[in-house]
Amino acid sequence: MKRKIYWNMCLMALLAVILSAVMATLVYYRNMADEMRREIVTEARYLEAGIELSGPAYLENLSGSIADTTRSRVTLVAEDGTVLYDNYAAADTMENHGSRPEIQEAMESGAGSSVRTSSTLSERTFYYALQLEDGTVIRVANTTDSVLANVLRMVPALAAVAALLVILCMILADRQTKRIVAPINELDLDHPAEVKIYDELAPLLVRFDRQRSTIKQQMETLKSKQREFTAITENMSEGFIVVGKRGEVASYNTSAMRILGVDEKQPREAGVNILSFNRSHVFRTTVDEALSGRHCEQNMEIGGRMYQIIANPVMEKDEVTGAIIVILDVTEKEEREELRREFTANVSHELKTPLTSISGYAEIMKNGLVKQEDMKRFSENIYTEAQRMIVLIGDIIKLSRLDEASTDLEKTSVDLYAAAQNVLARLQMQAKAQNVTLKLEGGAAQVSGMPQILDEMIYNLCDNGIKYNKPGGHVTVRVYKEQGAPVLSVEDDGIGIPEADQERVFERFYRVDKSHSRQIGGTGLGLSIVKHGAIYHNARVEMESHPGQGTRVRIRFPEFSGTETKEIHK
Amino acid sequence: MRNRFDEQLELLNVELIRMGSLCEDVISGASRTLMGEDGFAQQVLQADHEIDQKERDIENLCFKLLLKQQPVAKDLRLVSAALKMISDMERIGDQGSDIVELAKYMKKGAVVQSNIHIKEMADATIRMVTESVDSFVKKDLSIAKKVIEEDDTVDALFDKVKEELIGLISEDSANGEFCIDLLMVAKYFERIGDHATNIAEWVEYSITGSHIGE
Repeated sequence: MKRKIYWNMCLMALLAVILSAVMATLVYYRNMADEMRREIVTEARYLEAGIELSGPAYLENLSGSIADTTRSRVTLVAEDGTVLYDNYAAADTMENHGSRPEIQEAMESGAGSSVRTSSTLSERTFYYALQLEDGTVIRVANTTDSVLANVLRMVPALAAVAALLVILCMILADRQTKRIVAPINELDLDHPAEVKIYDELAPLLVRFDRQRSTIKQQMETLKSKQREFTAITENMSEGFIVVGKRGEVASYNTSAMRILGVDEKQPREAGVNILSFNRSHVFRTTVDEALSGRHCEQNMEIGGRMYQIIANPVMEKDEVTGAIIVILDVTEKEEREELRREFTANVSHELKTPLTSISGYAEIMKNGLVKQEDMKRFSENIYTEAQRMIVLIGDIIKLSRLDEASTDLEKTSVDLYAAAQNVLARLQMQAKAQNVTLKLEGGAAQVSGMPQILDEMIYNLCDNGIKYNKPGGHVTVRVYKEQGAPVLSVEDDGIGIPEADQERVFERFYRVDKSHSRQIGGTGLGLSIVKHGAIYHNARVEMESHPGQGTRVRIRFPEFSGTETKEIHK
Repeated sequence: MRNRFDEQLELLNVELIRMGSLCEDVISGASRTLMGEDGFAQQVLQADHEIDQKERDIENLCFKLLLKQQPVAKDLRLVSAALKMISDMERIGDQGSDIVELAKYMKKGAVVQSNIHIKEMADATIRMVTESVDSFVKKDLSIAKKVIEEDDTVDALFDKVKEELIGLISEDSANGEFCIDLLMVAKYFERIGDHATNIAEWVEYSITGSHIGE
């Protein structure tokens, strides 16, 4: 724009200079021609007066001085056109001048004039003729350069002036251009509405302002959307990667980087290939599969944990434009699966053992190989094994109920102390047989829960306390409140649980001493029921145990608040 | 024009990463087959085949880039380094499948029982190959340097394995065939280590522009 304004200005100045020079020349020339015409007319009049006074000889006398003072050519022509006198040439060598227009005109009307341009175009001659009283005609002619010659003669001077002017114009134009453009250059585009410069720019600026606010709004919307998206993906523990159709990474979250073990500090330019994150066979094939348009799921091990890689193609009009890769940590799922398999195997084993005994005894009896006196012992064995199975199946059913949390039976207010009393009363016989003393301490504490499950939990804990005890040992049940929350603690001074096993005793079928489990009895599900019961009651189980010194299990119940529950249990 | 060039360079980059990961697959598969695991032999041979295919593809791509785009400076170094690297990678693939071929004729579990340091050697070589590919992927000079240094470990392990095998033969000459096969396997691993070193050197060249010859 600056350039354009500048050059336009310069061009205009140049044009003005040239035009004014031409005009000036024309005007000047015209004036000069008029001047010359007037001059020759005056000269002719003087000569006429002179000739009238002193006859043609006047010219002869004059001739020398005329030629010197003026460049005018004086010719005296007779009535018949013969040249009588000429101050430039010999009169007798000149042709007849009667046909010249100015002379003819003079002969007719007393005075005549004409202008002739010489053939070379470089000269113009003005003629003026006057008829004297004696009929002869005096003609004065003066020659000047033609317009072209005149102009040509003036050119150097004009050019110098023009050049000077043009240079001046260029300087001025430059400054002017700068002045015009400066406000536009300094336009405050951040606040276009406040700018007050050229009125012509106002509509544009208003439009600018409007578009600016629209863009700002849209940017805000986009940014907040982006923030939402980032917040969602960043807070996912699952890895999330979006790739383009050639495998270039478009977006990813921190979890993905953490899982794939990519150094986040390492600067990464946009569009880096997914293979630089991980290039293992499984990952590669999964991504390739997705990019060829098929859903793909595979498990992959990274750093000791199991991950599931799910890749989905992104389709647009039957064409794959990219893929979304989600990385899930399935370690726990795999572990649970493993546990379930173990559990099933354990259950089958636990069920099979008594059944094998039963079937064995029954087979011997069937074949009549048993003496009458042994019959009682055999039936007793069958009975014990069957009882064992019943207890086991009962425990499994309880556990699976707790598992499903299908115990959507209403919770009621239960007094832990009363429940413990009840349990201890039932266990008294067993304790006596093992020479273990049972004690109950503390006072009433209400919890909201299922009486049957709570009973089962206390029973299992006390039962364990008696079973894994030494003769003369003690089992102490305490019911108390700690910061308003009911706590049930069962303490024994029995054999204790080795450190290594403490974590695992709550697992199903886990036995510390596997070899003697059948003598002690029990199903291996007791503590598992305690754990699941506690979970059902939102309670926390804490275990402290020192081998040879005893074990203390505390169940911390949540603070009792339920007045809305029905009072059933005493 | 430039855009297309950049695209092709990126393609070259990705193809090299792919070829490198195929090498990793080959050598880890070979090591597992050697240790008596089933199901990897076929995979290795398949991967070796793919590596050969990739070598030709990348070669074509490089020539196309050189002829049509006339790369300069860093880009030229990448293309020329790629041309050199693929032949090393191809050798790794071949030697990996050679190890598998040898492992086929060995008695299963014999290698594990023999107490020879071949497993350590295989692990060190795998690490070298992985790191050399890593150095290319991350364009990381320090990893490349580490690979070059690690070659000494593999060489030392090769000497150790050789001595152990000599001891085994002198114990019982019936071990002869097994020992010689294992020696060849060890040599292959040692060569793979050298190739990994070469790759690392070419990575260094493509980054810095100077190549330390052997």
